Amino acid sequence: MKMVLSQRQREELNKAIADYLSSNGYTEALDAFKKEADMPGEVERKFGGLLEKKWTSVIRLQKKVMELESKLNDAEKEYMEGAPTRGKRCPTEWIPRPPEKFCLSGHRAPVTRVIFHPVFSLMVSASEDATMKVWDFETGEYERTLKGHTDPIQDIAFDASGKLLVSCSSDMSIKLWDFQQSFECIRTMLGHDHNVSSVSFMPAGDFVVSSSRDKTIKMWEVSTGYCVRTYTGHREWVRMVRASPDGTLLASCSNDQTVRIWVVSSKECRSELRAHEHVVECITWAPDASASAINEAAGADNKKGAHTGPFLASGSRDKTIRIWDVGAGIALFVLAAHDNWVRGVVFHPGGKFLISASDDKTLRVWDLRNKRCMKTMDAHKHFCTSVDFHKSHPYVISGSVDQTVKVWECR
Amino acid sequence: MNICKVPIPVEDSDGDNRWLSIHNRFLSETREKDADVIFIGDSIIQALQHTDVWNEMFVPMHCLNFGIHRDRVENVLWRVQNGELEHVNPKVIVLHVGTNNYNNTPEEIKDGIIEIIHIIRDKHPDVYIVIPSLLPRGQHPNALRDKLQQVNELLKDSLENLPKIELVVIDKGFVQPDGTISHHDMHDYLLLTNAGSKKAFEPVHELLLQLLNEGESEKELTISE
Repeated sequence: MKMVLSQRQREELNKAIADYLSSNGYTEALDAFKKEADMPGEVERKFGGLLEKKWTSVIRLQKKVMELESKLNDAEKEYMEGAPTRGKRCPTEWIPRPPEKFCLSGHRAPVTRVIFHPVFSLMVSASEDATMKVWDFETGEYERTLKGHTDPIQDIAFDASGKLLVSCSSDMSIKLWDFQQSFECIRTMLGHDHNVSSVSFMPAGDFVVSSSRDKTIKMWEVSTGYCVRTYTGHREWVRMVRASPDGTLLASCSNDQTVRIWVVSSKECRSELRAHEHVVECITWAPDASASAINEAAGADNKKGAHTGPFLASGSRDKTIRIWDVGAGIALFVLAAHDNWVRGVVFHPGGKFLISASDDKTLRVWDLRNKRCMKTMDAHKHFCTSVDFHKSHPYVISGSVDQTVKVWECR
Repeated sequence: MNICKVPIPVEDSDGDNRWLSIHNRFLSETREKDADVIFIGDSIIQALQHTDVWNEMFVPMHCLNFGIHRDRVENVLWRVQNGELEHVNPKVIVLHVGTNNYNNTPEEIKDGIIEIIHIIRDKHPDVYIVIPSLLPRGQHPNALRDKLQQVNELLKDSLENLPKIELVVIDKGFVQPDGTISHHDMHDYLLLTNAGSKKAFEPVHELLLQLLNEGESEKELTISE
């Protein structure tokens, strides 16, 4: 495409070039240029840096235009299709919609993790202020604060009954908390040599797994607090570890840009999943309900028959989310639209959608079947660090570096 | 002997040990945070983090700010030698220091800064080192202002065209035609206001964007008729 400049534009461009030449000290070229372009005298000040400005602004504007177009698309969709009314909403279709139901403040430092209680209408937030706070997500009421760690808390998890809570911190400890009566720390487990980045219960609730910047994953017995296994292989900081729903496998992700799958019983690393181009921040196992949507999305390269899974989603600093077939050890497809690091991923309990949280300050809802971002919510004033979806109630919660926790109702 | 090249912690003349506390906090941040960009240096850097420019433009890039008010070249030299650049893997390090070395010669300040650059390069062979020029200071023209200007020229002569070192001129546009600096730009004629930091650090932000996005493919924009 040939670009045509008007007389006036050409004059301006010439002046901008002259300014560029003069400010960089290319005096001979400047003299020659001035002569050829018939432009005697000094270049006016308003052309200072103009060429450089134009050079960089095109890219920025491109980005802006694309952002605005996708926002417009979303707004049109929302307007045309609208949200179903409260009565008609259905647990497999409901998705979080703005505005937030509650914005809860109280933490004195960035919120690092938010999780739902499996039974009661409670949620817990963990923060770099070294505390955890318990909230009622239906009323927005603050319930209590759990104190004991001495450095930022990195991750928290409930066992299936919701009677025990586990937390881990950069103070290198893992703590078990009684969540039935006393809300006190009942055990502290030490053994990692560095920041403990993630912690989670095995499905049976008898063991806890943890990952650390010391490059290892450890398994701890809940009843005794002893470290019973150590899984080694990652070459860098292990960011997150999560047990598969049947409890036979562990998935972990790391600064070494890999996702690894471990056999719980033998400590063997069964596969090393590579495709992300930056630190992998977060992972989550897919519920069985998502198998059909994932298969359909992976359809094009799935001629040999259906993928059987189990499936895993991972979010990375390369701004993408990837879906993996862990059984086959292959990457299935990519979800890209975030503008900054992806920090949290969670599947919709109905299986059709995935929700992600990112440092671009948004939460996004992804339509798995079509591999597309169907909704973007400008969720927080600062990085969104964590997101969770309630297993049966229509609620999503998010946490942020802006120190708030938000509750989103699904419709 | 050039005191700028002798690493030394700040003497605790107030008796509250704040300087070492700040240094220790930075050390804990290197263990917990995983920053792509580290700003390290003096009053100018530390004041930057309280401005809108910092919150809006630099925070989304995953930055850490290791600026300490009143630090001199030799203090920053001590800090980079004592852990503030361990356990980190940044893509860019932004260094601004020298404005408080009022009793050194321009050559000494320059040599001290180059010493810091050598240490950084030693610890992080592939990192981009961004050196914004030293800002003018004082309401009226003064000898220190001239000295800092000479440091800028010396730095330009010795660092220009070195691999992965980027000099950014940020000191233009502060001295008005009558030689004064406005309190709208520097409220105490040293530290930047919101408006001043926008003027000074927008070019740094622009450069960081480009360094961080290097290698990323440009997206095609369809031109609609």
